[in-house]
Amino acid sequence: MSSHREAPEISKDPVADSTDVYAFVSPADPSKVILIANFIPLQKPDGGPNFYEFGDDVLYEIHVSNTNKAEPNISYQFRFHTHVRNPASFLYNTGPISDITDATWNRPQKYSLTRVVNGEARQLASGLTSPPVNVGPRSTPNYAALAEQAVHTVGNHRVFAGQRADAFHVDLGSIFDLGALRPFNEAHVISMPNMGGVNAVQSYNVHTIALEVPAKALTRDGAAPSDVLDRRSTIGVWATASRKKGSVFDAQQGKFVGRGPWVQVSRLGNPLFNEVIVPMGRKDKWNSLPPNADDKFAKYVDHPELAGLLPALYPGVFPNLAAYDKSRADLDAILLTGIPSGVVPGFTNYTGPVKADMLRLNMAIPPSDNPNSLGLVAGDAAGFPNGRRIIDDVVTIELRAVAGLTIPLVDPSYTPDGAASAVEDGTSDTNADLLDDFPFLGLPGGGYQTQPGTTQAS
Amino acid sequence: MSETNRRKFLAAAGIGTAAGTVGLVAGGSPARATPHPERAKEPLLALVEDHRGSEVRLLVGEREVVVQDRDLVTRLLNAAGGR
Repeated sequence: MSSHREAPEISKDPVADSTDVYAFVSPADPSKVILIANFIPLQKPDGGPNFYEFGDDVLYEIHVSNTNKAEPNISYQFRFHTHVRNPASFLYNTGPISDITDATWNRPQKYSLTRVVNGEARQLASGLTSPPVNVGPRSTPNYAALAEQAVHTVGNHRVFAGQRADAFHVDLGSIFDLGALRPFNEAHVISMPNMGGVNAVQSYNVHTIALEVPAKALTRDGAAPSDVLDRRSTIGVWATASRKKGSVFDAQQGKFVGRGPWVQVSRLGNPLFNEVIVPMGRKDKWNSLPPNADDKFAKYVDHPELAGLLPALYPGVFPNLAAYDKSRADLDAILLTGIPSGVVPGFTNYTGPVKADMLRLNMAIPPSDNPNSLGLVAGDAAGFPNGRRIIDDVVTIELRAVAGLTIPLVDPSYTPDGAASAVEDGTSDTNADLLDDFPFLGLPGGGYQTQPGTTQAS
Repeated sequence: MSETNRRKFLAAAGIGTAAGTVGLVAGGSPARATPHPERAKEPLLALVEDHRGSEVRLLVGEREVVVQDRDLVTRLLNAAGGR
């Protein structure tokens, strides 16, 4: 998946597991930028009685780099605190929750928002309320109204933190069954009949932290970005989750308590970077490092394992890719440095030579009136890899890029295989409807409304 | 680590007061530490990652204090060994 359960260690710690990061110019107000990070993957909506919630013992952050160093010049920190109103009850709610302040919600969660600029922290707000999860029509009637109450205005920012429907779509069941793409099953080395893709993420929820920020609050000089080719217009974005370095079981409380400084346990910039680029033995380490340490991982971008697998899994389908033995400068630019000016006419999101996995958003590019889910490779410069919108089909984009479709951007002598522009996992966005305004992600599925899945042993 | 700092650490750690712990005075080291006004006043973890080295990491609050003191490491190792 984008980054759901992407590394061995973090897959055992879902509360701190980042799943997707989005950064885009707001289509509702192009002077604003939307920063979204999702955590806690694959939430089955009916997972009670202890429903999903942010970790009080986790520091969640969205970082922005606005210089050439790929350092966190601006960080937004979210710290959560859960209050149990009635510890004598086993219930998540003791009656309908019609307002996020209702006493019937037995486990309200609040949070503080801190903005750190070049190391100087300033708490913007505290006591901000998250919405409850979507339990069902009796417990959380009119969930849309409840969630709307949890959109807070903090100065010139808007902020939301709570449960949302996952907007990512991917065929997990097929891709991780020996790299199978159902629409191309017949061409697979272990052939099966072709069929449509299955969106494995459909109907699952995540927990979202989302910010709407004036674009000029993210530039290095406070100026509103207006010139696409001006280096100051592009920012790098990534999210992290951190835990205390030490953890001890407190027998009095019956739970673990943390001691010491925060240490990073999860990181996410570009979708699928740690998942399919970084090898298994280094994924956990990668999660603990800052983006500007990614030079150590550049060799996995320059010679990605997946590019070698495609010709082996689909014999005869990718002959040109199989023969290409040069370093993948196209992927290096897309994922690690941004695309320099001159590669795509009128576009750049280059952030300097420091190799760092970040989403790079050129904020001077306005939202598209007619968005294309294939983003920049389809001529829509407002989409991935220029930042990432919720609608962007990053699985197809990255699959085609790895398959060689973007090599001619940097190596005109290369002719992509015909399959490179057709390969896909066959899924489409069958997730919840998105909202037209902040926080944009769709409402989470309800527990009562959830139907069993279709798992079969064979 | 100065003797003062070591005493501060021992006092803050509360070592020697918990049941089952061993006094750290064996080997002729100072018998009693004096609490410093600026000592930590919350639980902490002391971490010795290299038993052959001289480094003790103290995890307290949201901080990590790194102490270089081979004698302190030895005393902790002795204590951990029941000596």
